[in-house]
Amino acid sequence: GVSGTALQKNVSVGNPTKVELTCKLDDNSKLKNPQVTWKRGNETISHSSKTQNSWTVQLTISDGSQLGSYSCILKGEVEVSATFHLQVPKIDGKERPIITYEGDLAVMVCKTEYAPMAWTWYRTNGTELVAINLSSHTNKFRIKRQSANVNRLEILKLTKKDIGVYWCEAAFRLGSSKRSFELRVLSILAPLKPFIAIVAEVVILVTTIALYEVYSKRKEEEGEREFDQIEQL
Amino acid sequence: EEPEAPEAPSAGKSRGGAAAAGGWAWGVVFHFFLVNVLVMGTLKTFGIFFVAFREEIGGSSEQLSWIGSIMSSLRFLGAPLVAVVCQRLGERPTSILGAGLVAGGCLLSTQATSIPFLCFSMGFLLGMGFACLYQAAAVMTAKRCRARLAFCNALARSGMGLTFLMAPFTQLLIEFYGWQGTLLIFGGIMLNLVPSSMLLWPASPRPPREPAENQDQGCSTAKKDPETPGGCSAGSTPREFQLRSAQEAPSTERLAMPHGRDVSGPANPSALGRPQKATPESSSSETSPEAKRSHKPLPATKKEPSQPLLDFSPLKDPVFFIFTWSFLFSHLAYFVPFFHLVARARTLGMSSRDGSYLIAVAGITEVLSQLLSGWLADHNWTKKYHLHVTYLLLCGATNLLGPLATTFPLLLAYTVAFAAFCGGFMALVLPVLVDLVGVEKLHSYLGFAAFFAGTAAMGGPPLAGWLYDYTQTYVCSFLFAGACALISPISFFFEPSAQKWKLKKANL
Repeated sequence: GVSGTALQKNVSVGNPTKVELTCKLDDNSKLKNPQVTWKRGNETISHSSKTQNSWTVQLTISDGSQLGSYSCILKGEVEVSATFHLQVPKIDGKERPIITYEGDLAVMVCKTEYAPMAWTWYRTNGTELVAINLSSHTNKFRIKRQSANVNRLEILKLTKKDIGVYWCEAAFRLGSSKRSFELRVLSILAPLKPFIAIVAEVVILVTTIALYEVYSKRKEEEGEREFDQIEQL
Repeated sequence: EEPEAPEAPSAGKSRGGAAAAGGWAWGVVFHFFLVNVLVMGTLKTFGIFFVAFREEIGGSSEQLSWIGSIMSSLRFLGAPLVAVVCQRLGERPTSILGAGLVAGGCLLSTQATSIPFLCFSMGFLLGMGFACLYQAAAVMTAKRCRARLAFCNALARSGMGLTFLMAPFTQLLIEFYGWQGTLLIFGGIMLNLVPSSMLLWPASPRPPREPAENQDQGCSTAKKDPETPGGCSAGSTPREFQLRSAQEAPSTERLAMPHGRDVSGPANPSALGRPQKATPESSSSETSPEAKRSHKPLPATKKEPSQPLLDFSPLKDPVFFIFTWSFLFSHLAYFVPFFHLVARARTLGMSSRDGSYLIAVAGITEVLSQLLSGWLADHNWTKKYHLHVTYLLLCGATNLLGPLATTFPLLLAYTVAFAAFCGGFMALVLPVLVDLVGVEKLHSYLGFAAFFAGTAAMGGPPLAGWLYDYTQTYVCSFLFAGACALISPISFFFEPSAQKWKLKKANL
């Protein structure tokens, strides 16, 4: 097989830079002296260097249009290929919906591999994305920069109106990536209902057992009294 | 004629009482079962909360795992303290206290904002609550299920097998309500342990009139004072004194406290234990009618020194060391392979689905083998600890052969064998202790044994992790577990000589 790749590989590129992609053939592969072509889509690129078992191509990425999928194709008795996906860095964040309660605080954290130029947060309003403007909502939103590649949005004093989808966008020179978070706001009563139901059940059980105890105790006492009377006869 | 007439009704009463006592024994087993389900379930689902806490409250993994460590280690380390509380207050109040601590801890944790807060509310409160619940339930089971202790214990422990249901349930709750809502609901579920704790009826003292009537016929006054074992005339008292001197138990006759029925709790072990040991023909000792009578003020005819607050006598007893040595190593042998089973499967190239399948099979096999082992041990064909030793040796052998399992079928066979033998010896831990030391001192022995086992439980997982880091393979964990399982029964070979030593000391 082709070593060094799992036949697909993601390469994160944030800023304009020079990238070197290498396809290397395993020593024990069946292919001997294959024909190698580097392609991007349908376009062929000439490779810059070649050793006995590896073929390298050097790319200069200077703007976003040069990002994409580059593949090396080795033709011989069999055909093997590997693809490199050059993309802007992706954002890591929480996948699941964020569940919070009214009056509480919601936290959304976005993290990237490389530091972007700028971070922006949006809120979905219908189908549009509306940027969150700190100056107009000072008591509601707080954006904290934990480090260059970690950014954090805090939403205070949650109400039901804050339910929706929020986006964080990391802008790189070569493009931007986005991530969405779903915010759910529950009222405090939501978990309280099952809790009160369980407490009610517990109270019923406790009273039943206590009453049963008192009842059987009284019965025993009566039985005892009878028994004592029999003995004294 | 007169002695006969009272005897017949009393026999009838004790038979009715025996039936009631039998019914309540199942109640105690049910409570212990519930304790196992909830305690073990919470300990196991802590990992899910861990993830939720890390996302919302932040903090490093190490800090967060402290919460889990405190919770699981306090369950054992708090045992001696809980043993004292149990002996003072009785099992039922202690159990209710434990349930309250657990529920309170869960509820308090919903307000948590920082890790130290969670360490206290979730780690400390829950850990101590678990210790209370566990100790009270275990000792009560030992007191109630005399004849079939091993089977009852195994039945209660099978609750641990149900804990696999708690994980998806917790996951579901967290998806709906977030971790705060989930903890709130958990608090409510834990409150269910309060009514089930109420099933732990305090064991009633044996009516002293029975031995008295068997021997001494003229004591009609005894009926009015059921609490005085020697309250009948001189006939029974020498016998009681004889019994007392024959055993070196310093446990008190009764605590002269004007409390209600729960005082019979601490007094009972002694009253129960001695007649039980001396008169094997006695049938039911816990007759509920006698329990109801304790509302009468206890006559302080015999005021013995009350039991010391923290009874260190187990530490002077060689039998205790024998048991604790075995307990410690067998616990190490039990935990470590389970920890690393999935990881080992993964390194051998199996998917994590196969790994979880192995764990499921292990759980089911363990439950079944516990029940079988308990049922088998109750037949008393041989001393229980012989069975215990056999299981341990087989478990050790299985673990030593474990590294040979490199394919999925072999690993499955190893898992089944390991789980079967583990279930076997785990079910017998409590019955063996009861056999060795009897029921009246069970609290202090169990307390200290759990304390030492707790230190092992704390050190076990890190030790196993260190072994892996050092040797870069999981093979060593299995060899280590096998070695522990083989070391642990060694102490039982000294048991006969220890008993002889004790008897010699008692007769001096």
